[in-house]
Amino acid sequence: MLHLSQEPAMTALLLTAPAAAPLALAGAYTLGGLRAGRQAAEVSTVQRPLEPVAAGGGRAAAPMPAVAPTISPARRHPRDWAGLASPLVILACGALLAADVIDDGPVSAYSGLLRADALTAWMLLVVGAVAFIACASAPAYLAGERATDRATGRTVMGVPPAHGGPPARANSRVGEKPRVGEQSRAWGNYHVLVQAFLGAMCLAVVTANLGVLWVAIEATTIVTAFLVGHRRTRTSVEAAWKYVVICSAGIALAFLGTVLLYYAARQAGIAEAWALDWPTLVARADRLDPAVTRLGITLVVLGYGAKAGLVPLHAWLPDAHSQAPAPVSALMSGVLLSVAFAAILRYRVIADAALGPDFTRVLLAGIALLTLALAAALLLAQRDYKRMLAYSSMEHMSLIALAAAVGSPLALAAGLLHIAGHGLAKATAFCASGRILQLRGTSEIGRVSGLLAQSPWLGAVFGLAVVALLGFPPFSLFASELGIARAGFAAGAGLGWAMAAALLLVLIAFAALATRTARMLLGPAPTGATAVQDSPSALWPLTVGLAACAALGIATGPLGDLLSQAAAVLERP
Amino acid sequence: MNPVGYAAIVLQVGTVVAGAPLLTGLMRQTRARLEGRAGAGVLQPWRDVRKLLRKEPITPVGTGPAFRWAPLVLVATSLVLAVLVPLISTESPVRGRADLIVVVALLALGTVALALAGLDTGTAFGGMGASREMTIAALVEPTILMAVFALSIPAGSTNLPVIVAGAADEPARLTSPAGLLAIAALSVAVLAETGRLPVDNPSTHLELTMVHEAMVLEYAGPDLALVEFGAQLRLTVLLGLLASLFAPWGIATSASSLAAVLLALLLVVLKVAVLGTVLAAAEVFWAKLRLFRVPELLAGSFLLALLAVTASYFLGGEGGQ
Amino acid sequence: MSESLFSQLLNLACGAFLLAAVVVLWRRELAAIVRLFALQGLALATIALLLGLHEDRWDLLVVAVGIGALRAGLLPYLIRRALAVLVAGQDGGHGGGHGEARETQPLVNVAASLLTAAALTLLSYAVARPLVELDPTPATRALPVGLAVVLIGFFVLVTRRRALAQVVGFLLLDNGITATAFLATSGVPLIVELGVSFDVLLAVLVLQLLTVRVREAFGTTDIDDLRELHD
Repeated sequence: MLHLSQEPAMTALLLTAPAAAPLALAGAYTLGGLRAGRQAAEVSTVQRPLEPVAAGGGRAAAPMPAVAPTISPARRHPRDWAGLASPLVILACGALLAADVIDDGPVSAYSGLLRADALTAWMLLVVGAVAFIACASAPAYLAGERATDRATGRTVMGVPPAHGGPPARANSRVGEKPRVGEQSRAWGNYHVLVQAFLGAMCLAVVTANLGVLWVAIEATTIVTAFLVGHRRTRTSVEAAWKYVVICSAGIALAFLGTVLLYYAARQAGIAEAWALDWPTLVARADRLDPAVTRLGITLVVLGYGAKAGLVPLHAWLPDAHSQAPAPVSALMSGVLLSVAFAAILRYRVIADAALGPDFTRVLLAGIALLTLALAAALLLAQRDYKRMLAYSSMEHMSLIALAAAVGSPLALAAGLLHIAGHGLAKATAFCASGRILQLRGTSEIGRVSGLLAQSPWLGAVFGLAVVALLGFPPFSLFASELGIARAGFAAGAGLGWAMAAALLLVLIAFAALATRTARMLLGPAPTGATAVQDSPSALWPLTVGLAACAALGIATGPLGDLLSQAAAVLERP
Repeated sequence: MNPVGYAAIVLQVGTVVAGAPLLTGLMRQTRARLEGRAGAGVLQPWRDVRKLLRKEPITPVGTGPAFRWAPLVLVATSLVLAVLVPLISTESPVRGRADLIVVVALLALGTVALALAGLDTGTAFGGMGASREMTIAALVEPTILMAVFALSIPAGSTNLPVIVAGAADEPARLTSPAGLLAIAALSVAVLAETGRLPVDNPSTHLELTMVHEAMVLEYAGPDLALVEFGAQLRLTVLLGLLASLFAPWGIATSASSLAAVLLALLLVVLKVAVLGTVLAAAEVFWAKLRLFRVPELLAGSFLLALLAVTASYFLGGEGGQ
Repeated sequence: MSESLFSQLLNLACGAFLLAAVVVLWRRELAAIVRLFALQGLALATIALLLGLHEDRWDLLVVAVGIGALRAGLLPYLIRRALAVLVAGQDGGHGGGHGEARETQPLVNVAASLLTAAALTLLSYAVARPLVELDPTPATRALPVGLAVVLIGFFVLVTRRRALAQVVGFLLLDNGITATAFLATSGVPLIVELGVSFDVLLAVLVLQLLTVRVREAFGTTDIDDLRELHD
């Protein structure tokens, strides 16, 4: 094992790299994009009257042939693969930091601004793994999108874009395609925004300063806004608007809560520089004024709860998840929700030390049950498979919230394992759903059937991911749900009843998810659709994700120590 | 018993009674001049009263006591108000009874009497005017209550003379947020209560907009004179109250010298005249609000009054609580 | 600065701060709403300035100037520019006069929203009791004002239908939080303040762009028309 904590420079590097590497990559993409943009502009001034399609083609000098169901890997853009660098850096830093903190305890750098404990390392590993799946499946997804852009772009260009007046209401979500030039330009920014998104999430994970944590989480909202609204159709613009407004307002509440906590800390005699420092606040939490802390924690839970998809500010989630590009949905659902929830977990430690466990227990359990009930009810009535996956995310986040409400070591460890398992399985499911959308051109469950017959590999991956989300062994969600349930029933009568209600609701969600997925997968292939052989390079990242999820469920291996230590970080002091 | 105090009361009531029609005349004259007309002169309201009093009293068929008594109740309440409100001296013999809540209740009594009279005639206009008047009153009375209440918090009493005397001693109270908000709220409320623009137009008989005029449409002769006189009294007293609350300088705070009382009388006449002129000038430039926007204005002034109360409650005291 | 003068000026600034938020509810013209928002930014900067002078902290004075520039200058400028684009776009298109420039029909009518604002103010006083009791000074006694503006901002965000009115609601919310931070603790640490200001600026830029896109896609900026996605 490496022992790096003796070398401050090395520690600083390890703590900085997860946030800095994606940001640097984003910068590189911006520069590259500018150059490509200039070239494209030159091309477009010459060619626009003749061939407007090439205007935003970016680096794609060679025009693509018309739409092809399978995308040959030879035409992939090398830029798309460069994005894989940052997940690898994050994973590496997470692993090194994990080795470090298991042996030597928390490390910090820049006078406490960045800090890593076991929870940080765990979250970094989850972010890295999910980002790896998302970034690795991005090239295939982008190639597919570019192909459809070109195909529909040719047909759409004849029709003048609706400007000024209200455009005719599109009959379905499928037929909406905006002008092609802007669409391609939007794809040019895709990598910049995704990398910035990763950087912001990593910053939120590695910082120990609660103010910087807020800034980082709000930054994730801002950078993903255009990813959600990238299509510029009515639905995606609506989703983006709701996303930014609800998340910004919700998270503003979290900032108000942070300010109130800072006030309480200052009044408790903590110096200005340390009054937002998480370890300091935990150590001196007993001196915080209870009334002010209670108000602050309530606001923080509501605010970050908005970002974690919990009631009452959850309305953005299904819209944004269903409209974003599939890899971005995977990132948002797989890790953004849990990064926001990790913030709540950190605040929970402070609150428990200052107020005793009952306050957060009631608050979190109540929110979790409401979210679960809502998700289950809406899953029953769901007709769109991307929205179905989004509501399933809400269901899983509320299970994690319930684990946090229980708060015993077993429950916390199970909750953290659930974060990892859900991240991997949901990322896989979303990436697969993006491919299904490209294949079938619709996101309605009723119009997708016979997936297994048409594309066996894709259908199998999607089906297995949903099976994992349903909580079947060998996937890790089985182990974690079992752990949460056991911890809940062991925690006393009140939580036992809450857990029983939760299990009932989970059962409803289970039934809804299972029947809808079965409808999509089974049945004969639609008439006229040829069997599609997906290239292995589009599917290997998803297989890796499923394998990781299953491996985590069979044996945690070296991660077991990390998991128990991360749970110990969150235990009531 | 202080003879100067009684003299002050007598002077105050006498001045208000004599001056109320003159104030209306002054305002009409100001408007006329600003609009480029010659105007009927300041004394015209007195001439109107004389003319109306000479006519024979007429009551519409089917009206009951509410119609007949309303003018008297209106004038009576206005006269009691003229006695109670501290315009000249804060050391009058009635100071113990000049409570804020009594004043608002008297105002409301006059308003309700007139609204009942409007309903009693059974005509469409009367009922319409009454219902509009009640809509407005429902927001105005609490606003006045709130605004003066905000001023009463620093004084520690709802007694009007005490509030006015406190403000005269300590002008800083008026420049606090509570004071400024209360001034704004009370000004709007007074405009609404006296039926001036932008809430009601006293010189219109257009059925879409009139409020006060619709209620009193059936009155004629001496009854009409009383109604008009009552309205003028209310305007004068309320403007005087506004002047006393927010510009209390010069008011006699001790009941010792007649000279101070006379000086205060002169000042209050001047202040009310200035207020009336300013109001008349402003009315030239304002348009009347559409009727359904009126509640917005009044709700706004109520909110201002409420903010004034909360502000003086929570912000105000320097280590007060 | 003497203690009583300080508290009087602070109270005046807080009063103006709250009043601006209330009058936003009263007005329908978006241009007037933006002007009020700029005024509120000035009041906020004044609060920071007064606190800086009172505590002899030069960094607070710099922050006050920065806040004034951002919230009374840059953000209103951005919104005004977006408004100009929208209005110009509409004049070029179909008729309808100044539909984009006015909040014609909020979900809750103006009289009711003013009364709600009154209730919200009382609520914020009730909620802020423990905050004030922890450390009663002239500044913390004005804390309910900050919370009231937060609540009013939230209310504007929920009940207004024009996209830009919602943006102003979000900014009111943010102003309220910043005021709370100043009144409670003389501001959060500089790095956090910088990050927050930067985030808010970016959020407004994003919302401004999205407003244009909403108009492109829907032909109006009436958020009530955004009904494509629902369950």
